[in-house]
Amino acid sequence: MNSGIGAGLTNGPSARGVPLAIAGVVLLLVVVELIGRLGLAGPSWPPLSVVLEYLTTPSAQRVLGRAVTATASAAVLGFVLGTLVGVALAVLGSLLPAFGPGLDRLAAVVNAIPLIALGPLLINTAGRAATPTLVAALAAGFAVFVAATSALAAASESQRDVFTVLGAGRLATLLRLRLPAGLPLIVDGLTLAAPAAVLGAVIGEWFGAPRGIGVLLVSAMQNFQANLLWSAALSASVLALAGYLVLLGVRRAVERRFT
Amino acid sequence: MPEPAAGAIELSGIGKEFPLRRGRSVQALDGFDLTVEHGEFVAILGPSGCGKSTVLRLVAGLEQATLGEVRVEGRHPGELIREHRLGVAFQEHALLPWASARANVALPFKVAGRPVDRERVDELLALVGLEGFADARPRQLSGGMRQRVAIARALALKPDVLLLDEPFGALDAVTRRRMNLELARIWLAQRITTLLVTHDVAEAVLLADRVVVMTGRPGRVRHVQRVELPRPRGTQVTREPAFHALVDRLTGLLDEAEQPGTAA
Repeated sequence: MNSGIGAGLTNGPSARGVPLAIAGVVLLLVVVELIGRLGLAGPSWPPLSVVLEYLTTPSAQRVLGRAVTATASAAVLGFVLGTLVGVALAVLGSLLPAFGPGLDRLAAVVNAIPLIALGPLLINTAGRAATPTLVAALAAGFAVFVAATSALAAASESQRDVFTVLGAGRLATLLRLRLPAGLPLIVDGLTLAAPAAVLGAVIGEWFGAPRGIGVLLVSAMQNFQANLLWSAALSASVLALAGYLVLLGVRRAVERRFT
Repeated sequence: MPEPAAGAIELSGIGKEFPLRRGRSVQALDGFDLTVEHGEFVAILGPSGCGKSTVLRLVAGLEQATLGEVRVEGRHPGELIREHRLGVAFQEHALLPWASARANVALPFKVAGRPVDRERVDELLALVGLEGFADARPRQLSGGMRQRVAIARALALKPDVLLLDEPFGALDAVTRRRMNLELARIWLAQRITTLLVTHDVAEAVLLADRVVVMTGRPGRVRHVQRVELPRPRGTQVTREPAFHALVDRLTGLLDEAEQPGTAA
């Protein structure tokens, strides 16, 4: 990941692109509805309108509400945990340059292990209730670590030279230059980490958490409850999108303040 | 602490090699000697790539000499850095974009872990003519104003030595000329030992007590010119024949320095 990709994902649509973006979303929704209406994908693909109608029933709202609450809290907790650990490791790599390359490799190896493969392992060690949070933290933490590592190197060479000549220590340079100069890029990473945390939480729940969207997805799939399955998937998407949009707002504020 | 008769900055027999790939290296400086007296303003002039910025970076402790010795106030630059006794300004202003002009000038105090001397900060902002812009952020300031903040920042801790590397190199000609006159005035008020690196001959003559002309790579001292023009040096100095004669002479030396093979 580099800042170019981050910038593309986090700048949002330009003023001119907004109507085009809305048109694209509407088109997608219409296609989803039509496939369901015409039965092109069989009975497991209901029309979107039927799913939305299902979502208005009190029983569905009760079931989904509980699941979304569970997933959202696991995702938020995992996001916070992952962010703290990711930034802390990046700071460590910046303060002790000897550790930098080793940390990079460790993070790459951890990220190379599929989250799906880690799930059962975590269930056995950390327990069913904690697994969604931990998988969310792993997913978010990697994105934050990568972003923070490049962010802490973002200060210009002349700024670093000025700090050196002024006799600034490593800690003063970190707090007064590297962290504030890197904050926009760190928030870039957070914007990518938020949807990753939701995905991680759902995957963590997949292996048998007490409740959550992941649990709903599994049971709805096994019981051929197409409406519930689609509602759960829709909820997960909305949750991920909400996290992304909140961080986008934070990013704009940070951009204004720190550049 | 009283120093012996030694100069404020002493470079003797300096050689500096930069390693390139495959074991090759480039010789930036070779046998470079220079002494700057206490309270003296010395400008280093040279063709681009002659190693003049390297000289400044050696004095600033940002590079280590391959050969020879760099002494500032009789000591290694690293020791002065640890005691926060050097001031520096580069071509890029290197201000903190999230901090106000006042906070940028106060930065050296914070970095040194000292209480911010607000009086000194305001005095410096006034000295560089920015008292009305103390709360402005760098992006709200013009290029010339940013450089003034950077110079005020360099002066904040009353450094023993002020190091200026093309501080006005990124400005347009009109602003640059105005900034030169400003710096002449500021320097006269502070009288700090100053080393300025530039490729602008008029700038060097206007500001310096002595101008050092360097040869092309590897950099050596080709000529040292004392500038006897009286201070304060304002716009009237730049119209005098003596000023132009000096500028012409040094420009000629600089042109020769740029021809490979003619260097002494």
